[in-house]
Amino acid sequence: MKKDFRVQYPLWQMAFIVLLGLMIFSITGASTEFIHTDDKLLIGAEFPPLESILLFSFIFLTFLLIVIFSLKLTKHNKQHPTQKLSMWQIRPIEYLEQDEGMTHITRKAVQKVYTFFVWALPLMAVIYMVFEIPKQWMIFGILLLAFMQYLIYYLEVRKHIKEDDE
Amino acid sequence: MLHNKVKELRARFGFSQGELGERVGVTRQTIGFIEKGEFSPSITLALKLAREFEIKVDELFWLEGEKSE
Repeated sequence: MKKDFRVQYPLWQMAFIVLLGLMIFSITGASTEFIHTDDKLLIGAEFPPLESILLFSFIFLTFLLIVIFSLKLTKHNKQHPTQKLSMWQIRPIEYLEQDEGMTHITRKAVQKVYTFFVWALPLMAVIYMVFEIPKQWMIFGILLLAFMQYLIYYLEVRKHIKEDDE
Repeated sequence: MLHNKVKELRARFGFSQGELGERVGVTRQTIGFIEKGEFSPSITLALKLAREFEIKVDELFWLEGEKSE
């Protein structure tokens, strides 16, 4: 069960969020250099070597992860033809709803995530209003919330499944 | 809290959690959750489980403070 694609899905999302954060970090470094120049058309040439390497590495890693993710999704759909998943479905992939027991576990995990957002979103809004925070750090804040959402969900589901496996 | 003797009867009937789950149409994990008292099943599932063990529902499940017959 722990290897079920739906159980592992939050880990994938967390990895994508980290990569997105790293990409933004690389772009931010490069853009800072760009802002100090007059020629706006030379944006590519103005990228510091380190940031450029990092940015392209993170883009490559993201594409690689997307390919592996797609393969895993295809494998899951072949193994579970009655519970097919799609990357573009509106309903979150991580929901475990094979039966009432799994739905119960999903509900508990979703409740924890909801509780987190009830407190985290207003707190973040207050922080953004009170302090002068650069735009990129605001994005990092949003990414942190998204990361935490998947982490809370994953740990809660894993806790129940782990207890059951023992 | 709802108590039950699913684990005891499952062992008596010689079913694994997976086998019992298959017979009543749920996953092995759900049987595990019920046995631990972590999850109270629906009436439908409780009836299905009682039918598998050939007993009444209130003999299989009972409320805290009440004794099973």
